[in-house]
Amino acid sequence: MTTIWKNPHQVWHAAKANPEAPTPDWTDPTEIWRKKRTSHAKLYKVGRLRYYHKWGGHGAKLWSRLRYWPTRRRVLDIRSEYNPKTQRVEKTIVDKRPIWWMMALMALAVLPMLTPGEVANTLLGAATIFLIYSAINLCWTLVIGTAGIFSLATMAVVGAAAYAAAGTSVFWGWPWWTMPLSGAALGLVMGVIIALPAIRLDGFYYALLTLGLNELCRVYVIQSKTFGSATGGLYGADSFIPQSASQSTQLIIGYYGSFVVLLAALLLFRLVNGRRLGRILRMAPEKREAFAEAAGVDYRKARIHVFIITSIALGAIGGYYASYFRGASPSLFSFDTVLLGLAMLVIGGLGRAEGAVLGTLIVVFFDKVLIDLGALRLVIIGLIMLFVVLFLRRGLFGIKEQFRTWRDKKKSEHRSARAEKGGEMLPEEATETEDKDELYLRRFDKLTRDYLKTLVTDEVIEEHRRSPLGQHSEALERLLIYFRRQPQVDKYAITVIEPFKSYRIVALSGHRGVAPRVVEEKVYTSIHDAYHGVFMRRVQDLLES
Amino acid sequence: MAQIKLFGYADKITIKPGQKIDIHVHADGTDRASAQLVKIIHGDQHPSGPGFIEKEVACEVNGEWDVKKQFTQVGSFLRVADPAKRLAHDGSFTIFGYVWATLPSFGVRQSLIGRWDSYRNEGYCLGINRSGLLEFWLGDGKEVDYVAAEVPLQPRIWYFVAVSFNAETGRAELYQEPVMNRYNSLLGKAAPLDYRSHVAETLRFRAKNGAETPFIMAGSQDWHELRGYFISECFCGKIDRPGMSGRALTRDELDRIRDGGPPPPDGLLAYWDTTVGYTENGIGDTVVDVGPYRLDAHGYNRPVRAMTGYNWSGRNDCFRLAPHEYGGVEFHADAMIDCNWEVTRSFTIPKDLKSGVYAIRLRAGPGVGLAEEYVVFFVRPVTPQGRLAFLAPTGSYLAYANEHLSFDTQIIQPMTGQPPIVADIDVEMYKNPDFGFSTYDSYMDGTGVCYSGYHRPLVNMRPKYRVSSMGTTWQLPADLSIIAWLEHQGYDYDVITDEDVHIEGLAALAPYKCVMSGSHPEYVSEPILDAIEDYVADGGRFIYMGGNGFYWNVAYRNDDPSVMEVRKLDSGMRAWAARPGEHYLQTTGDKSGLWKNRGRPPQKIFGVGFIGEGFEDSRAFRRMPDSYHRTVDWMCKGIEGEIIGDCGLAHGGAAGLELDRYDRSLGTPPHAKIIASSGGHTDNFVLSTEEVLYAHAGLGGTQDYRIRADIVFFPTAKDGAMFSTGSIAFGQALPAEGFNNTAAKLLANVVEAFVQDGPLPGSRWIADEKQWR
Repeated sequence: MTTIWKNPHQVWHAAKANPEAPTPDWTDPTEIWRKKRTSHAKLYKVGRLRYYHKWGGHGAKLWSRLRYWPTRRRVLDIRSEYNPKTQRVEKTIVDKRPIWWMMALMALAVLPMLTPGEVANTLLGAATIFLIYSAINLCWTLVIGTAGIFSLATMAVVGAAAYAAAGTSVFWGWPWWTMPLSGAALGLVMGVIIALPAIRLDGFYYALLTLGLNELCRVYVIQSKTFGSATGGLYGADSFIPQSASQSTQLIIGYYGSFVVLLAALLLFRLVNGRRLGRILRMAPEKREAFAEAAGVDYRKARIHVFIITSIALGAIGGYYASYFRGASPSLFSFDTVLLGLAMLVIGGLGRAEGAVLGTLIVVFFDKVLIDLGALRLVIIGLIMLFVVLFLRRGLFGIKEQFRTWRDKKKSEHRSARAEKGGEMLPEEATETEDKDELYLRRFDKLTRDYLKTLVTDEVIEEHRRSPLGQHSEALERLLIYFRRQPQVDKYAITVIEPFKSYRIVALSGHRGVAPRVVEEKVYTSIHDAYHGVFMRRVQDLLES
Repeated sequence: MAQIKLFGYADKITIKPGQKIDIHVHADGTDRASAQLVKIIHGDQHPSGPGFIEKEVACEVNGEWDVKKQFTQVGSFLRVADPAKRLAHDGSFTIFGYVWATLPSFGVRQSLIGRWDSYRNEGYCLGINRSGLLEFWLGDGKEVDYVAAEVPLQPRIWYFVAVSFNAETGRAELYQEPVMNRYNSLLGKAAPLDYRSHVAETLRFRAKNGAETPFIMAGSQDWHELRGYFISECFCGKIDRPGMSGRALTRDELDRIRDGGPPPPDGLLAYWDTTVGYTENGIGDTVVDVGPYRLDAHGYNRPVRAMTGYNWSGRNDCFRLAPHEYGGVEFHADAMIDCNWEVTRSFTIPKDLKSGVYAIRLRAGPGVGLAEEYVVFFVRPVTPQGRLAFLAPTGSYLAYANEHLSFDTQIIQPMTGQPPIVADIDVEMYKNPDFGFSTYDSYMDGTGVCYSGYHRPLVNMRPKYRVSSMGTTWQLPADLSIIAWLEHQGYDYDVITDEDVHIEGLAALAPYKCVMSGSHPEYVSEPILDAIEDYVADGGRFIYMGGNGFYWNVAYRNDDPSVMEVRKLDSGMRAWAARPGEHYLQTTGDKSGLWKNRGRPPQKIFGVGFIGEGFEDSRAFRRMPDSYHRTVDWMCKGIEGEIIGDCGLAHGGAAGLELDRYDRSLGTPPHAKIIASSGGHTDNFVLSTEEVLYAHAGLGGTQDYRIRADIVFFPTAKDGAMFSTGSIAFGQALPAEGFNNTAAKLLANVVEAFVQDGPLPGSRWIADEKQWR
């Protein structure tokens, strides 16, 4: 299988060159191109039909963009790009949430007018509860999601504020409009007190502490005569709902009052989460605090800020709650309220406004509207929560992202099953390759390698060992030229430890400014050996590909 | 403690005793370094040679120096001198200009035109945001407000861009229209992209114009607590004819500027007409403001001019023919021409210092590797002493200064036929943009580098350095093998440089009986080539000691010869190709490229010219029959046999690396004789591209007879002579076998004859041949 290659330089008395060398028999390198007639993998059609409309670009027309006054946010976040298939300018609404919010809020605004008469009372009552709990959960998701503080004391703050506000009204006769304010004042006090341990305690321990606080409040109001241990709550507070009005009017006034509370909570969420404070906190999620701190983020201070701000807001909601219900009851502190609240957050997805609101909607719907189901409804809520916790990573609103991740995973699984390693690109890969020259390069490279593999023999390796530089047999020369022409990324090179004494093999980065990396610890004592070391690594890579 | 690193450069590359030299040093991990003036004799540590040789020289500056960390401004930009702060404009305004971005979407904000301080968020700016969209932004010292265009700027397409800002309503309107023609952009009409965008938004506040913010084009001001003010957010691409008006121009008015009209004069604050100032002999770094206040802009790190503008028609290939089509000023975010460091020490070259290659050797900590630095300079005599001069090819040192070939160039391994051997210093240079580039590199946007200067640490212009891609010495470290041989022979020689010959012309060469070149004097300006030609024609004796010499036409400014310009084009072995229409040197107005393509192939002066290169194996020369003629046989006196130069430090032979050949068709004088020729080169040596009309198989060393080095000799008028060694590796062959080898013997015979007064030996054996055998 070998022939003897004769060095054309033997007549020139080249001292170092091999005069002759055994080498594999010559085979035609173009033969492989004739033999290869079909793809290794089945080639499926690709392409996706555009069945929806995309707006074109403005071109020469002036595009006057509107903003949410007084911010610099555009009404819609729109991205324009050239369609890679046609080069037409196309607009994509990057973030469609403003549209959904607008539709949802409009629906809520007209809901009382649309409720059918027979269920109006149940529905409006439940809707009001939904609005109030949505507001509470928006604040809570700021604490758990944005600030990353695992506090279960939210209902404790709301309840304490509700009792305090009711107390001011019942005992001192303060009017209804002071109640959110006195609630907020108590919220501030509670916030500061609960925030202090948050500086030192983490996760589970803090949750336990706050749960304990909640329980303490419940036991206290149940046993306290002042707060109605006998009457099952403290009632008789002033309210913004005139008692003289009909029941349906009262419900509608209560509904719109709660709607305003929800809007205020949404605004607060936006102000905290969407501005500097929220950005700082999102840089420092749980378990990555050390990194954020090293980057100069004072996340502790920011967490405490968020906590105190939300406590004030929760206090105000508590005050409003007392005014709406004309008092407060110990059920505010009950454990099942806390758990239901937690279910609302988890189902929707932590840290998102839409998650907090949708979660609340689902739980309140089962809990208050389907009241006929009895205890079964709590089982249903439990099952939903179990499903969300088990299967969804970031609640219902994380489904889209999770689905895409899953699809990408499936995609790469299918690809790796179908594609040949280092082989030709499949049609689906081609759609993702901007420079189509790459497609041909892959084909050429694959066929070249298939041929070159047949040239690797012990004789060729021995020929290189004897003379790494200079003229070589055709087989060796072909291998060397292929190796030398490889792209720079991870291309082998030699690094000097001590000139003419010791060398090591490295791989170039191929990226500007990035140093080569060491690929093996072996030290070569001559440059000749190092050249051969590089060659052997390249041969190994070729055979493995 | 941090790793100790020392880097430095001198303000002058050539100096005479008694003159003052400034040394600039940057230090990492130390604040003290010990300095020592040394004379450098040999720089190649190859075990077959004498090794590294230096001689310490007494000097007032020897001893401990205080050194510190220095900062380098990377990126080229234009800074407007505006002492009256006309551009700190508080009312309505319009900024406009033509742009051609090379990397619009590489994820970094790029400032185009504005008076912006990115540290304080003060001022206003028109630029490109991280998504590649044209954007106008302004800041009030606390917050930033902005308006972005609809579609991203496409690379290498000419656009006219502007923003009109109405200070009363706060409305900012962006204007983006393509100004493509059939020649000036990457894409043509066939690509159906709609490049236009006009977006208006009402901004929330007005800009606060900081008192000290400079008006910058292609960058904006930034600040760091150690470094102070510097320029960041630099731009990659061209800007043509930018301007600023003191009112919000209407769409119609901007349309007229887009179509090539002048900006409306009422309210005009500044209009930098980048086409003003072109002369027959090039253009400088000042961009002229033709507006009412004459706020000229000055280039930093040499923004490249003589580049085609938005209205280049494809008909004219030089700014001398149509200056109005050459308004393009090209910027690169990674350009670095002059470090502009603070001076660490100044000293006077000792009066009695003999001419030679010298360096300030700096050492700190371990004193090896990166903790050792040689700041090299060339000392020439106050008045020429010797009969022999070594002409150091400093222009070629600059061309290769800090080259990144092993790291960035995919084809370098097939070219050199071996894997690169990188050292710590190569990696350090690669990691750090502060070292700048050689003319063998490209900027990150792929554009070739046309400027190289010596006001920066030159890691490969120092002894002991080995070029990573070839496993040999190269340029100065290789030329030191010639210096070491001169020292070993005990010859009395002076050292002069390209820069001296460029400035003084023939006068720098005339005092010497014989001048020797470096091993690879590839880059020469017209005055240098003229001086050598006149010197030889007027009785001078020249030894061309290398290969691929006198190849590229380059230019220096006479008032600042520290920077060399070259444009690589058309043909020749070239690391990059200048774009159409950009083949003429900004510095002189000359067409760059190969001297051959300008009608001056090196064969006309030196008898030989470039034919091929390969970097993995060298060969010996074999005497040619003409060497037995009595006019020249004295050269081979003492050489036994026919082989010359069968050993050496560059792959073991005197004929290697790059080869030059005798060629009558390119002007080798008719009476030139080939003394010896090499042969049997490997197929890694391939015919050089300027010799190739049709490429075909078999252009390698084993099949094409032209691939060889010729040692050529011919006499010139008034007893002058030219001797060319034909190969770069010839110089590195001299120190082999203890300087006792056939190449060294041949050269000694030539040099010893050349430095004598009177006619050369054998010069009378010129009668008609009447031979019996």
